[in-house]
Amino acid sequence: MTGQGLLIASSVVVPLLMALACLSPAVRGRMPGWLAIAPLPALLAAFLARGGSIVVAPAPLRLTLALDDVGAMLLGGAALLWAAAGAYAASYMRGQPGLGRFAVWWLLTLTGSLGTFLVADLTSFYLAFSVASLAAFGLVSFEGSPAALRAGRVYMALALLGEAFILLGFVMLAIGAPPGNPLIGEAVAFFPSSPLRDPALALLILGFGLKMGLVPLHVWMPLAHPVAPMPASAALSGIIVKAGVIGLIRFLPLEAALPGWGATLVAVGLFTAFYAVAVGVTQTQVKTVLAYSTVSQMGLVAAVLGAGLMAAAPGTALLAGFYALHHLLVKGALFLGVGVAMATGPRHRLLVLGTMTLLALSLAGLPLTSGALAKYATKPLFGDGLAATLATLSAAGSTVLMLHFLRLLGGVAKPGAERPPTGILWPWAAVAVAAFVAPWAMFAWATALPLSASLGAKALWAALWPIGLGASVWVALRFVRLPAIPEGDVVVLADRLAPAVGRAGEAVERADIWLRRWPVASMMLAVLAIALTVLLSAGS
Amino acid sequence: MMPYATTPGGWMLVLALMLPVVGMLGIFALGLRHAERIAHATLLAGLAVALAIAVEVGRSGQAVTYLIGGWRPPLGIALQADGLSAVLMVMTSVILCSVGVFARGSFSSPPDGAEVRRPFVFWTLLLGLWSALNTVWLAQDLFSLFVALELLTFSAVPLVCLDGSRDTLRAALRYLLFALAGSVFYLMGTGLIYGAYGTMDIASLHQVARADWATSVALGLMIVGLMAKAALFPLHLWLPPAHAGAPAAASAVLSALVVKAPFILILRLWFDVAPQPLPAAAGAMLAGLGAASILFCSIMALRQARLKLMIAYSTVAQVGYLFLVFPLVMGSAAEMPWDSVGWTGGVLQLVSHAFAKAAMFLAAGLIAEALGHDRIADLGGAAKGVPVTVAAFALAGLSLMGLPPAGGFISKLMLLTAAVETANWWIAATILAGGILAATYVFRVVGSALAQPRAGLVMKAVPLNRELAVLTLALIAVALGFLPLQPLDYLGIGRGGMP
Amino acid sequence: MTPATLYGLCAAALVAIGLFGLILHPSPLRKVISFNLVGSGTFLFFGVAARRGAVAGFLGDPVPQAMVITGIVVAFAATALAVALLLRMLESGAPTVDGPPEQPDDLSP
Repeated sequence: MTGQGLLIASSVVVPLLMALACLSPAVRGRMPGWLAIAPLPALLAAFLARGGSIVVAPAPLRLTLALDDVGAMLLGGAALLWAAAGAYAASYMRGQPGLGRFAVWWLLTLTGSLGTFLVADLTSFYLAFSVASLAAFGLVSFEGSPAALRAGRVYMALALLGEAFILLGFVMLAIGAPPGNPLIGEAVAFFPSSPLRDPALALLILGFGLKMGLVPLHVWMPLAHPVAPMPASAALSGIIVKAGVIGLIRFLPLEAALPGWGATLVAVGLFTAFYAVAVGVTQTQVKTVLAYSTVSQMGLVAAVLGAGLMAAAPGTALLAGFYALHHLLVKGALFLGVGVAMATGPRHRLLVLGTMTLLALSLAGLPLTSGALAKYATKPLFGDGLAATLATLSAAGSTVLMLHFLRLLGGVAKPGAERPPTGILWPWAAVAVAAFVAPWAMFAWATALPLSASLGAKALWAALWPIGLGASVWVALRFVRLPAIPEGDVVVLADRLAPAVGRAGEAVERADIWLRRWPVASMMLAVLAIALTVLLSAGS
Repeated sequence: MMPYATTPGGWMLVLALMLPVVGMLGIFALGLRHAERIAHATLLAGLAVALAIAVEVGRSGQAVTYLIGGWRPPLGIALQADGLSAVLMVMTSVILCSVGVFARGSFSSPPDGAEVRRPFVFWTLLLGLWSALNTVWLAQDLFSLFVALELLTFSAVPLVCLDGSRDTLRAALRYLLFALAGSVFYLMGTGLIYGAYGTMDIASLHQVARADWATSVALGLMIVGLMAKAALFPLHLWLPPAHAGAPAAASAVLSALVVKAPFILILRLWFDVAPQPLPAAAGAMLAGLGAASILFCSIMALRQARLKLMIAYSTVAQVGYLFLVFPLVMGSAAEMPWDSVGWTGGVLQLVSHAFAKAAMFLAAGLIAEALGHDRIADLGGAAKGVPVTVAAFALAGLSLMGLPPAGGFISKLMLLTAAVETANWWIAATILAGGILAATYVFRVVGSALAQPRAGLVMKAVPLNRELAVLTLALIAVALGFLPLQPLDYLGIGRGGMP
Repeated sequence: MTPATLYGLCAAALVAIGLFGLILHPSPLRKVISFNLVGSGTFLFFGVAARRGAVAGFLGDPVPQAMVITGIVVAFAATALAVALLLRMLESGAPTVDGPPEQPDDLSP
C-alpha cells in the first residue's frame, strides 16, 4: 500500500468520516465551521498522487480507486472549489437554523462528487455517482421554501430517473465483460463489440446527460441552482454537473470511432448550448441566468465529446476535462461572487464587478482568459464544418447571456452594504485567481499544444469577433421586448401532468380497496389457482 | 432416489427445532414472570446452534441431515440443512435475537407482576414461531411443511392482536381466515400429489414427477395457496392491517420472516418438485403478479399517511421482487438454477429484505414511541430526538431502494442482470421503476424526519440499547451489499443431489 | 361407480360447498364452518387416496390416514383460534372481516 494510494483513499474517507461524526449532536453543531477541511486530502492527492491507485477490496469485489490525468485535473479543481465554498458557507450562512443538517448533506455530496473522479470500477462509480446525486437533494431543498421544495422534488425525480438509466446501462455494459465487478476500462473495452452497445450507449448518454443538463433533461438546473444557498449553488453548478461529464468521459468508447453516436451528441450538445442562451436571456434572476449558462456550457462539453467520439480523436478525454475544469472554476467563482457583490457597498463595488466581468466574459472566451484557452484547445476537434461554425457562434451566445447576467448583477446590492465580510471575500478571491491561473498552468500539459500559439494574432481575432458579435446582439436585444419564460421552461408542461398523476394515484387507492374486499380477494384466489393450473399444463 | 443418511452434526437440527419448544415449556414450568429471561436465554442458545449448523454445512461441503428415529423417507421424516437452509436459519436467529433485545423494553414483565399476560403471550409465541420457521427451512416432505406452515400461522396471528383492540382483532381474524383458505388449497395439492405418486418426500418426487394434469392441478393449487400466505398482489388483503396493527417487535418478525416461509416453499416446489422444464408462461404469470405487486403496492406505500402502513405496503412490494425469479432462472437451462445469477439474486433479495424490513419496522416503533404517533407528515424533529434510529431507517431504506452499497442493491442488480441476459425487458423496467418508487417513499419519510420539529414538541427518550439493536439490523442489511456480484457457492451446497 | 369414485365426488362436493361459503358468506362464523367443510372434503380425498393406494393385505394405505389425523388436529386448532378471536370481537360488537380501511388513530406504541 503506497503513500499515494493512502492519500487517494483518504480523499473520500476523510469527508465520509466527518459526515458520520455528525451522528453526534455535539460534533454536528460545530461541523459547519470545519467544512473547508473535508476536501483538503483530495486537493493534496490531485497534486501528489497522480497515477496512483489503491485496491480497497480485493477480487471478487475489486473496489478500486485510481487517479488518472483527467481525474486528477477535475479532482483538483473540484477540491479547491469545495474547500473555498465550504469556507464561504461557514461565514455566509452563519446563524441560519438547521446548519448541522446542511453540513451532513454537504459532506455526503462532497464525498460522492470527489469519489466520481477517483473510482475505477463499475460498482464504485455507481455508488459515488448515486451518493453525489441523491445527497445533493438536501442542498437543493435546504431552504425549505415552497420553491425550494418544488425544486427538490423535480431534482429528485430526475436524479432517480437518471440513476435508473445509468444502472441499466451499466448492467448491459457489464454483460460480456468479466463476471463480478469489472473495472471501468475493461468494461468499456468490450463495449464497441457488445450486442447491447446501442441501447447501453443511449441509456448512459441519457443518464449522464441528465446530470449535465442536456436539453430537454435540463429542467432541474434552473429550478435547483437559484434556490440553494449561495455556496451550495456554486458546488451544484460547478461540481455536481461534472459528475455527468466525468461519466461520459469514462464510459464513452472514445477510442472507437462511432460516427453516428458522436454526431448525435454534437447535435444535442450544440442545440443545448443555443437553447439555453435563448431561454437564459429572458430570465430576470441572477442565479437563474447563471444556471442557464451552465446548461449552455455543458452542452458545449457534450459537443466536444461527441466530436471526439466521431473521429476517435486522441486526447479527447483530456480536452473535455480541460474545458470542464475551466467551467468548474469560473462558474464557482461567479456564483460565490454574486454573494460578494450583494454584500459590497458602492466604494468597493467597482473592483468586485470588474472581476466578475472578467470571469463572466471568460465563459465567452475573452482573449487571455481561461475560456479563450479552453475554446482554442477544443476547436480543432470540430474540424471545419457546420459544427465548427456553430461552436464558434456559441461563444457569441455566451457573450449575450453573460452581458445580461452582468446587467442584472449591477442591480443587486443589499442596502447599507459596505465591505463584504472577509469570510466570503477570500474564498471567492481564491477561486477567481485559480480560475485565471490554473488553465494557463495546465494548458501545455493537457492539450499538447504550444501555449504561444494561443496568443497569436489569428487566435486572438478568432476569439474576439464572436464577443463583438455577441455584444452587438445584446445591444440590439435591449430594444426588443423579450417574452417571459418561467424558470425551468419546459417543466411547466410536466406541471400540467400533476393533476393526472394525482388522479391515477387515487385510482390505485380505489382499486386497492376493491381488491382487498374479502369476496374479491378470495375469488381471486380461486381464479389464480385455475389460471396457474392451465398455464402449467400447457406444456403437457 | 436420493439417499438420506444422518450426517455428523445432524442432531443439531433436532436441537434447532426443539430448543424453542423447550423454552416455551420452561416458561410454563418456571412461571410466567420469567418469560423474558427464559426467552432471551433460548434465543442466544438458538443463535449458537444456527451458527454451528452453518459452519458444519460450510466445513463438510454437504447438507447436514438427520433421520428422525432412523426411519428413511418416504415412511420416515428427514430434516436437512443445505446451504440455503443454513443461511435462512442464521438469518432467522439473528433477526429474532435483535427483536429480543428490542422487545425488552416493550414487553418486559413488570416487577410487581400485575400484567403478565402480554409479555407471556409475546415471548412464548415468538419461540413457537421460531420453531415453526426452522421446521419450514429444514423439513423435506410436503406434509411436514404443511404442518410447519400452520404452526407458523397460529403463532403469527395472535401476535397481530396483542393489544386486543377491535381493529387488530379484525385484522388478525382476516389474516387467519385468508391464511386458512391458502392452507386448504395447499392441502388439496398435497393430497393430489400423494394420490399420484404415493410419496410426499421432495427428493423422491423430484425423481418421479411427470408433466401431467394431476401434477399441474396440484402445483397450481399449492403455489397459489402459498401465494395467499405470502400476500402476493392481488392476495394481499390481509397484510397491511395485520402488519401495521401489530406491535413493532411483532411486525418486524411478521414482515421480515413469516411471509418468507411460503415463498421458500414455492421456490422448492418450483425447482425441486415440479417436472422440469416448466412452461414459460407459468413462470411469466408468477413474475407478472410479482411485477404488479411491486408497482401497485409501491404506489400504495407512497400514498399512505402512516409510517407503519407505508412499511407494510412496502413489504408486499418487496415480496413481489422474489417472484421475478421464476422466468429469470428458466432461461438458463444449461446450468443448475442455483448457479444462476437470477436465483442467487432472488435469495439475496429475500435475506436483505428481511434485515432491512425488520430494521424499518423496529425503527418505526421507536419513532412512534418517541413522538407518540407515526404520521409521516409530522415526523419533524425525529432526527434530533432519535438520530440513531432515523439513521438506521435511512440505511434500511437504502437497501429497499436498491442503492449501493446496500444488500438490496446487489440483489436487485443480480435480478436486473438476469433480466437483461434473458431479454426479459419488462422485468428490467419493473425493477428500475420499483427502485424509483421505493426511493420516493423512503425519502418522503427521511425528509420529514429531518425537518424542524414543530414548536413545543416533547419527545420521550428511548433507551440506547434498543436503538442499537435496530442499527445492527440495518447495518447487516447494508453489509450484505459487500457480497460479490456472482452466484455464491455456499447457497448451492447440498443441492447437488437435485439434478 | 366404484366406492373410490363416489367418495371422490363427495369430497369434491364438500370442497365446492365450503369454498362457496368461504368466498361469499359475509359472517365470519360461517366462514369458519365453511373452512371446516373444505377441510373435511380434503380429508375425504386423502381417504380416497389411501383406498386406491392400498396394497395386498391392507384395507388402505396407512400414510394418508396418519396425515388425515394430523390434518384434523390442525384444522381443530385453527377453528379454536378463529372462534377465540370471534369471541373477543363479540365483546365490542358484531364480528366482521370486511370493514372500513384500518387506520387506527394513534398507534399506541
